[in-house]
Amino acid sequence: MSRRTLAALVLLLLLIAFPFVASGYLLGVFTIAFYFGVFAMAWDLLFGFAGEVNFGPTFLIGLGAYAAGLLNVRGWPILPAVLAGAVAAVIGGLLLALPALRLRGPYFGLVTLVAVLLLQQVIVIFAGVTGGEIGLSLPDVLSVDARKNYWYALAFMGVSGALLYALSRSPAGLILQAAGQDPVEAQALGFNVAKHKLAAFSISALFSGLAGALMVFYLGTASVDTVVDISVTVQVIIAVVLGGRRTILGGILGAVFLIGVGEVLRPLGQLSTFVVAAIALAVILLFPDGLIGAFGRHGREA
Amino acid sequence: MLALQILIDGFAISALYALGAVGFTLIFGVSGVLNLAHGGLMLIAAVAAWYTAGELHAGQYIGAITGLAFGVLAAFLTYFVVVRPIQRSRAIPRDETEIFVLTGTLLWGIMIQEAVAYFFSDNPLTVPALISGVANIDGVRVPFNEILVAVISWLSIGLLWILVNRTRAGKALLACAINPRGLTLLGFELGRIYLLVWLIYGLLVAAAGVLLATFLGTSSGNTGALTASAFSIVVLGGLGSVSGSLIAAYVVGYMETLTAYLVSPQIRTIPSLLLLVLVLYVRPQGLLGRR
Amino acid sequence: MTARLVVEGLTKRFGGLVAVRDLSFEIRPGEILGLIGPNGSGKSTAMKLIMGIERPNAGSIRLDGVEIAGWPAHRVARAGVGLVFQHSRPLHRQTALENIKLALLPDSLTRLITDHSVTEQARAIGESVGLGRVLDRYPHTLPFADLRRLELAKAIARNPKLVLVDEPFAGLTSAELADFSRLIAHFRDEGRAVLLVDHNVKGVAALVDRVVALYLGERIAEGTAEEVMRDAKVRQVYLGGSIEMHARPAQLNAARSLLEVEDLSVFYGKAQALERVSLSVRAGEFVSVVGLNGAGKTTLFNAISGLVPYQGRILWNGVPLAGQSAAAIARSGIVQCPETRELFGDMTVQENLDLGGQHQPPEEERKRLRWLFDLFPILEARRGQAARTLSGGEQQMLAIARALMMNPRLLILDEPTLGLAPVILEQLSQALERLRETTPITVLLGEQNVRFALSHADRVYVLEHARIIWEGLPEHFAKEAGAAYL
Repeated sequence: MSRRTLAALVLLLLLIAFPFVASGYLLGVFTIAFYFGVFAMAWDLLFGFAGEVNFGPTFLIGLGAYAAGLLNVRGWPILPAVLAGAVAAVIGGLLLALPALRLRGPYFGLVTLVAVLLLQQVIVIFAGVTGGEIGLSLPDVLSVDARKNYWYALAFMGVSGALLYALSRSPAGLILQAAGQDPVEAQALGFNVAKHKLAAFSISALFSGLAGALMVFYLGTASVDTVVDISVTVQVIIAVVLGGRRTILGGILGAVFLIGVGEVLRPLGQLSTFVVAAIALAVILLFPDGLIGAFGRHGREA
Repeated sequence: MLALQILIDGFAISALYALGAVGFTLIFGVSGVLNLAHGGLMLIAAVAAWYTAGELHAGQYIGAITGLAFGVLAAFLTYFVVVRPIQRSRAIPRDETEIFVLTGTLLWGIMIQEAVAYFFSDNPLTVPALISGVANIDGVRVPFNEILVAVISWLSIGLLWILVNRTRAGKALLACAINPRGLTLLGFELGRIYLLVWLIYGLLVAAAGVLLATFLGTSSGNTGALTASAFSIVVLGGLGSVSGSLIAAYVVGYMETLTAYLVSPQIRTIPSLLLLVLVLYVRPQGLLGRR
Repeated sequence: MTARLVVEGLTKRFGGLVAVRDLSFEIRPGEILGLIGPNGSGKSTAMKLIMGIERPNAGSIRLDGVEIAGWPAHRVARAGVGLVFQHSRPLHRQTALENIKLALLPDSLTRLITDHSVTEQARAIGESVGLGRVLDRYPHTLPFADLRRLELAKAIARNPKLVLVDEPFAGLTSAELADFSRLIAHFRDEGRAVLLVDHNVKGVAALVDRVVALYLGERIAEGTAEEVMRDAKVRQVYLGGSIEMHARPAQLNAARSLLEVEDLSVFYGKAQALERVSLSVRAGEFVSVVGLNGAGKTTLFNAISGLVPYQGRILWNGVPLAGQSAAAIARSGIVQCPETRELFGDMTVQENLDLGGQHQPPEEERKRLRWLFDLFPILEARRGQAARTLSGGEQQMLAIARALMMNPRLLILDEPTLGLAPVILEQLSQALERLRETTPITVLLGEQNVRFALSHADRVYVLEHARIIWEGLPEHFAKEAGAAYL
């Protein structure tokens, strides 16, 4: 067993044992950070590997969250609702990506951004159904026990991270990386670049949707501010860049750091967002390879 | 009556949109920067004007001038603190500069927004009208200030046109947008050209911010929306095409006004967003953009 | 034997420009065909059309009888075509071996585990191209030639029937060149059809069975390398018209050294573009640097103009230029008129010229403008027209005129004759002649068109593979250096 695997195992055990020593409040912070970790990893699959800058991760997250929430309001139990949310995110993602992936450079990013704005408008307009700006209260929650919620989130993040990481290192991930880096050469090597990018988009949508749906069942409400707003997108992107792009697992690090620092700075009130943004900007300027990159060669091979 | 109202309001709003978008497209065309702190810069100018005019009781004119000054200052800060370090960084690969500039200016915009909300106010800010009084145009009551907003917007755009097309410095700007390397070979320092374009951009964005604050008011909460609307207008018109941005500003301005009056103010932005998506699918380079 | 690849009537237009016009040729299995032509001749476009990277407007491409024209690149690749890219962009976080394995993967979304046999296969391919000892290293640690080998390995990984090679020898040393020749010759022995795309016949002459020469999108010659090199049209394209030597009025010749280049080396990443190049230009002299495409002429000029970092020294009037910005160098009197012209396409002729004259006092600017309109009358007629609507020859004149607006002491002309029709060439010649006879200007001219270069030179340097290999008077060129050229 390599030292790195050992370190990862120890860390995992510590995380699993964490609820026995931590306060419910702290567990809540980590629970949210874990869901953000999945958002970030799903985004990094697209950005770091497929080479596409998706400014609309919250379109996928929001679709998953609201679809699950609305079904739950209509009496669906949690598990089917979460799965349906994931399906909704994948379908929505495909509808968006099919035409959008033809676009190059900033245009793809823009279309995805516009998709978020549209989703946000739709939620506000159909406030009667969606709860509008106040948010949608769900009848069910995952658990009322902070420890259980923490473990659910940790398990979900762990499984998602393992799957996404394995995918990124698999032959399919290799092709995706080639397609993202130089689509012309990848095609000349016999790979249908559009197909692979579309698949990556679907997988990113699947995990985003799942995470979004699970997160609203943790929170008990689905609201624009928590799962759709551009500020959520910004946090996701920052988490990835902060943690180290093209590493998948860096997203977890970035998300925990981001949410953690946000909580530490909470006494600053409104200013905390300012400080978090400033720290992130400083990291981008000084360590463009992120936390993983800053800790040495490690990141290069990870 | 309603038609005339829509015509007039739409014209004024569109003029303001055009002013905001022209700056955005200028800075992209000449220096290749998509500045996602655009709304933040407008906000700084608006807040400076509001604070000087209202809180310091200096009057709206001094306020407007202070707003311009702070807008320019903020534009330079954006360039020197965020954009230039990213462009010059050796650790950032060339083909990723764009995403880094996007992320960097996005963060910078958030910092501006939060700082304004914390130190000043997160309530809507309104600068007193530059001139008071109401005109009566064929039965429609139009505040003089609304007319002034349209006039100043167009005057600024006109001045920009003269600068770019009729002066030596402007020609150099234009040339830089077309072929920076060619300009270097002719002995022009690109660094100076970029300074000039950020100065002009600062003036334009500040003017748009101050006028917006006198006309519709603004708040720290809608800086993102301001950036998004400038961005979508510019993309709709074609990135880097000034005339495209002007046309798109009017298309969007009138679509929003029409929707607000005829359907519901709640959904005023939806038709133009749908149009943007449609245009991007059919003609990704925008209305007047060239590939 | 029947042909493996049959190209018929292939045509590709980009807007108004016809990049490839009605091109036809065949390649048989076990045959190496050279597709040659100067920059802009359409050879690269033709290669991209075959690979499916661009879609043809008309014509047919058949691979073993199957029509593949218009297929997407990944289908063409699966049908048995491999392309060796000139610029390699390997995956940086994967080893060389993993990069080769990539090329062996099926186009599948669900393949999550690789078989062991794939690894063995990749290793064998890597060894066959001479990468055996470096297979476990990461690309950023590999020398340039090994990166090219890696591209070669990827292109042949799936055992293609047809291999397209873009500029096979660019950036290689002569030892590596021999090695690569052997590798490519080996493709022929394996029964593959090979298409080599290159600038000139000489580079590929030893390797190819047949050559097709392109010029301005059309085929101008076909045959063995010797036949094509003897072909009158090809010679016209590469060597230009007849030689005329002009002596310069003695009073314009000063002996003072204006520009000294000492031990200049330039690297692009790992590829060495210039290797310890030294040359000098005296005030009032016309100096030509002759060299094929890729020999390093443009790099040399860009180093002088401060556009690329370099090792060694460049002295201007005895003062080192290092540390000065490109713009400052241009203002100090070293003005480059680049191969790519770098015009402001959407601006008018007049505006382009005005920008060139912005650093001059207004009176001087007006004077120069009148003088240039006299030198290039066509520009005066076109002064209100957008630069991009001009013909190629007119654009070249505008580029030169714009550079002259800067009142240069040293004018660097990089490939001014590129892609120009003979009649335009003649006009350009006359203009240069007038400069030589009526002004004290110093000119450094880079050319692959030997005749043009010689007829406008007091002294000549020959640049080959990043090094100066000959220096002398133009009249001695034919005897001492000419044989190695074409």
